[in-house]
Amino acid sequence: MTELGLRLAVSLTQIAAVTGIVIVTVLLLTLAERKVLGWMQDRMGPMEVGPYGTLQPFADAIKLFFKEDLVPAGANKFLFTMAPILALIPALIGFAVIPWGPNVTYEIGGLSIKPFIISDINIGILYILAFASIGAYGIILGGWASNSKYSLLGGLRSAAQVISYELNVGLSIVGVLLIAGSLSLVKITDAQAGGFWNWYAFAFPAPQLFALVVYVISAVAETNRVPFDLPEAESELVAGFFTEYSGLRFAFFYLAEYANMVLVSCVATALFLGGWNAPYPGTLIGYLGLPSFAWVENTMWFAFKTYSFLFLFFWLRATLPRLRYDQLMRFGWKVMLPIALANIVVTALAVFFFG
Amino acid sequence: MAPPATTGRLNLLEWLKTITFYELLVGMKTTLSHLLHYKPITLQYPHEKRTLPDNYRGMLALLRYDDGTEKCVGCDLCEAACPSRVIRVVSAEVPGEPTKRYSKEYYMDMTRCLFCGMCVDACPVDALGMTREFEWAVYDKRQLHLNKAQLLAIGDRSYPVREKRLELQHPNTAFFNVAFQHIPQKSE
Repeated sequence: MTELGLRLAVSLTQIAAVTGIVIVTVLLLTLAERKVLGWMQDRMGPMEVGPYGTLQPFADAIKLFFKEDLVPAGANKFLFTMAPILALIPALIGFAVIPWGPNVTYEIGGLSIKPFIISDINIGILYILAFASIGAYGIILGGWASNSKYSLLGGLRSAAQVISYELNVGLSIVGVLLIAGSLSLVKITDAQAGGFWNWYAFAFPAPQLFALVVYVISAVAETNRVPFDLPEAESELVAGFFTEYSGLRFAFFYLAEYANMVLVSCVATALFLGGWNAPYPGTLIGYLGLPSFAWVENTMWFAFKTYSFLFLFFWLRATLPRLRYDQLMRFGWKVMLPIALANIVVTALAVFFFG
Repeated sequence: MAPPATTGRLNLLEWLKTITFYELLVGMKTTLSHLLHYKPITLQYPHEKRTLPDNYRGMLALLRYDDGTEKCVGCDLCEAACPSRVIRVVSAEVPGEPTKRYSKEYYMDMTRCLFCGMCVDACPVDALGMTREFEWAVYDKRQLHLNKAQLLAIGDRSYPVREKRLELQHPNTAFFNVAFQHIPQKSE
């Protein structure tokens, strides 16, 4: 009984830590995005709150917290309230299966603890994809429940977009799964140890570079980011599905969007770029004779790779204009999908003959 | 120069550019170079302000002569010149001096003003001036409906150096006293 309690306490601590890290990352991202975008466009970004605008996320959070919570007339109140929660929870829940650091086990008081892995379920990646799809419900329902044409159009666009690009995300991942022979993110990451030539993006039998490109593009589309931000196209639909939202519910949608960005970056890192593995065999700290602290370097590598992906998101947003809707659909179905399918065939053959 | 794309044959280079997202990469290179050579053109406005050009057309003001008398002679020309009907002048005789006129009331509705400066050009006595004030944001639009006292106050704080008044130079004198002397006066 006490062991169960201890395990529960450890798990809850891990969950709290990971959620905390994700929320802090989202806070950082909101600032970093505006700063990076500003710098790329010869602006300064937020400069007023705190030194060089560093406290801007907190100001935003406080503002959103105290804003009036409006429900438009004629809105479906239940779904209107449910939608932000439906969007946020799937975004946060996916982090449960992400391996943040090396798969080491510590024995503390008769308990075996894996500090960097909350749960190693054997269908990890499937679980993430499933919840990412549920996240789309939040957007669609939010758009429908608002009783506003802009919201509804945003929700509809989102539905079509998510269906088109979920498929590509799933298919681009299949190549990796074929090589790794497992759906568990922990096993997939472990299999990529020992240098960047073992990462699945570059690994021998079938380099998954095309799959990586397809995954990243589809991930951008799935998280509704520029240039695929049609569900919230501000020049056409005011703010798309969250036009009518304000205050804390708006904050939930915002949080969900950024948490989703972090999640897809984490998945891309874990699947294609070796997760927490350094791009050279072993770790520098390990070579220095402190193998018990190698996790510091490993988690740093994970963070670095994830943040590189997030930077790519900002970079794309600073550069590209929005796609037209038919272009989006044509690109998804007639370009991305065949590439992903061809990648599966090539990978399957390569794994069969060389694997 | 790109070759004409109407040949019908697949141009290999164009095709390669398409499948490698070449144009996107060029764009991304541009944004990245702006990030690396970061040189903002932003001015942190409330903290630092840009230098205004010499001919800056800001808030309108009524001016005075150096002895403190108003320049305005109530001729209504500014009202006539204004394209957006900002100005309303109520002209009247100077009490005790029937040859001279002045603006009894003078209103400007600055919510409509487009700062073209035509009123300033139209004024025969240079009684109107454009100041360099531009921070006139208010919470209540009615505060932008200015009367004569307010306009004079703006002129007082923006034009510390006033024009010298010469009695005979006054166009009022020249116009009303000389030119219309032959017109028979109204009997009272």
